[in-house]
Amino acid sequence: MTEYNNIKSKVVDSIKAMKKGPLPMRIYMETCVKCGTCAEVCPVYYGSNEKSLNPAERSDLIRRVYKKHSTISGKIFGGLVGAKDFDGDDIDKWAKEFYECTACRRCAVFCPMEIDNSVLTRKARTILDSIGKTPETLMRVIEVSLKTGNTDNAPPVALTEATSFMEEEILEETGVEVKMPVDEVGVDYFLVPPSGDVLVNPESMMGIAKVFHVTGDSWTLSSRAFDGANYGLFTGSDNDMKEDNKLYVEEAKRLKVKTMMMGECGHAHRIMKFIMEKNKWWGDLPFEISNILQYTAYHIQKGTFKFDKSLVPEPVTYHDPCNFGRSCGIIEEPRIIMRAACEDFREMYPNRGENWCCGGGGGLSAMDTIIDFRMNVSGKKKVEQVLATGAKYVASPCSNCKRQFMQLMEYHKLDIGTGGLHDLVNRSIILDGQKKSV
Amino acid sequence: MNGLKFFVGNILPYIAFVVFLTGMTYRIYTWLKMSSPIITLYPVPKGSSTSAVIKEVLLFPSLFKTDKVFWGGAWIFHVMLVFIFIGHFRVVTDFPWLWNLLGMNKEAVDTMSMTSGGIAGLIIMITVIYLIFRRVGVQKVREISGFGDYIVMFLILAILLTGNAMRFFQHFDLSETRVYFAGLVAFTNPQMPANGLFVLHFFLAQMMIVFIPFSKILHLGGIFFTQTILKRG
Ligand code: SF4
Ligand code: SF4
Repeated sequence: MTEYNNIKSKVVDSIKAMKKGPLPMRIYMETCVKCGTCAEVCPVYYGSNEKSLNPAERSDLIRRVYKKHSTISGKIFGGLVGAKDFDGDDIDKWAKEFYECTACRRCAVFCPMEIDNSVLTRKARTILDSIGKTPETLMRVIEVSLKTGNTDNAPPVALTEATSFMEEEILEETGVEVKMPVDEVGVDYFLVPPSGDVLVNPESMMGIAKVFHVTGDSWTLSSRAFDGANYGLFTGSDNDMKEDNKLYVEEAKRLKVKTMMMGECGHAHRIMKFIMEKNKWWGDLPFEISNILQYTAYHIQKGTFKFDKSLVPEPVTYHDPCNFGRSCGIIEEPRIIMRAACEDFREMYPNRGENWCCGGGGGLSAMDTIIDFRMNVSGKKKVEQVLATGAKYVASPCSNCKRQFMQLMEYHKLDIGTGGLHDLVNRSIILDGQKKSV
Repeated sequence: MNGLKFFVGNILPYIAFVVFLTGMTYRIYTWLKMSSPIITLYPVPKGSSTSAVIKEVLLFPSLFKTDKVFWGGAWIFHVMLVFIFIGHFRVVTDFPWLWNLLGMNKEAVDTMSMTSGGIAGLIIMITVIYLIFRRVGVQKVREISGFGDYIVMFLILAILLTGNAMRFFQHFDLSETRVYFAGLVAFTNPQMPANGLFVLHFFLAQMMIVFIPFSKILHLGGIFFTQTILKRG
């Protein structure tokens, strides 16, 4: 009973505090007109028309309690104006339903009020986290990441082993010696990939290594910090997010680099560039923050590279990860890369800022406990969208999207390849002195 | 009965005025002073963010992209609402200088008011009925609708019904209301026109004005702020 009361008062207090701001918290409580537009455009609701998946209904889980405790009308008229006190038994409903939103922000694009329901989803997750109700899978990812600096529980030597393997691969394939520097001090670029691109799908890292090889700029990876993934964004814990981020900023300072270059990982880029830097978590930074997609696209436009597009002959399509597109505005660069590296690039519709989420956003991609939901509900629209293009390969510069896509294709038994953008670059870029491919 | 009439005609107007004004001032004040994290939604609109917000408020382009029928209903409803609001200035007072400027005589003004106001009154009724049907008939809207959403719709419908009835089924003399409103402004305790429909219409309208800061109608001010949060460059 005390446990019940504790939970209840914690939840109610956190919701009451929303009255003091910041602005979105408060105004989103006050201005939803219940028009249903968000449901129309939400990937999850599209997958299954259930009331509990309706974005406005999910946000109402918070709104009802807010009305009950923080508004005059709610205090006087109660249920008549949609106010309802938090019931400790609701907590399991919360824990389930706030992890059924991919935080993709598509609703915000079309909502006539521009209410961003993902902000409320994250707020609810923050509350859940404070009472120990974060899903176990995600909790484990965070623990591992805080302990080892990466979400794969990999020791530093795993990185050096991987880079030597990749160097050998490239040498064997092209006959050209391409270096992948590790822990080098005083270089121009400190590359922060998602660890999956180093340990699981190395093609994308090999593509990036070739890009640097051709531009000739100095760069390095770090054996302590090679995973930009940061799950504090998903669990709503600002503390964890900061804690996880610290190592990377320190490492960039220690390596005395000019630029921290984020890899193919949308949420990592968003945290570094739009959350950490903008909010000055660690004061003014002695380095800049950029992204490998911008870098490669810039050099493509300058004509730095040679491509043999016939090496990527199959039709390919591009999926805008929600975090790169809607949240960071890296939208045209990937297309510049696609057009340069592939013979048959096809847009899916809608795209860019209006793209549908892969169904694995907001940390859901890492949760295999809800795999059926991700495959049949949240990812349903995406599969239809990809099939409509007739593409044989979906490129997406985001580890979470990639995992979701891989599983979608497997689950639905579709013969469509998945991977990153620099995977394609890796296939079709031609290095000076490269031996003819067989 | 007389006590009730006195309340609606001579006390409630002041209450409604004060509640609306303080309610809205309080809301807008709190919104203005509250900080907001930078959570821009990309791609950012071309041109300045102010013009993008104004465009959104005037034309509802994001609704247009999702549901054209709903966009039509909602947009026409709001435009008519503004139109009718402006038309009501004539109920409160007259604008001889404006008519002089436009070169219109009294008959011409009355005819114009009768046709344009009458048409607007009918069109908006249709849109309100459509919006009510949509709320009841479309699952994704019905399942998120509560009593508060319906009461606002029915309140508006009742205001429109009484207003249209006055226009179409009665001869309504505006000079009476003008004297009355002038009295309210001058605090001379004027007699409210005795017309029952008018009393009802005026009462409901005042209820709505009181509701605005505390109900979903608050979006009439909120939209400027919510739009600005995500439309920063
Ligand atoms: S689209 Fe916006 S205003 Fe409409 S119901 Fe959804 S959150 Fe509310
Ligand atoms: S953020 Fe995405 S998944 Fe969540 S409610 Fe909005 S559209 Fe749906």
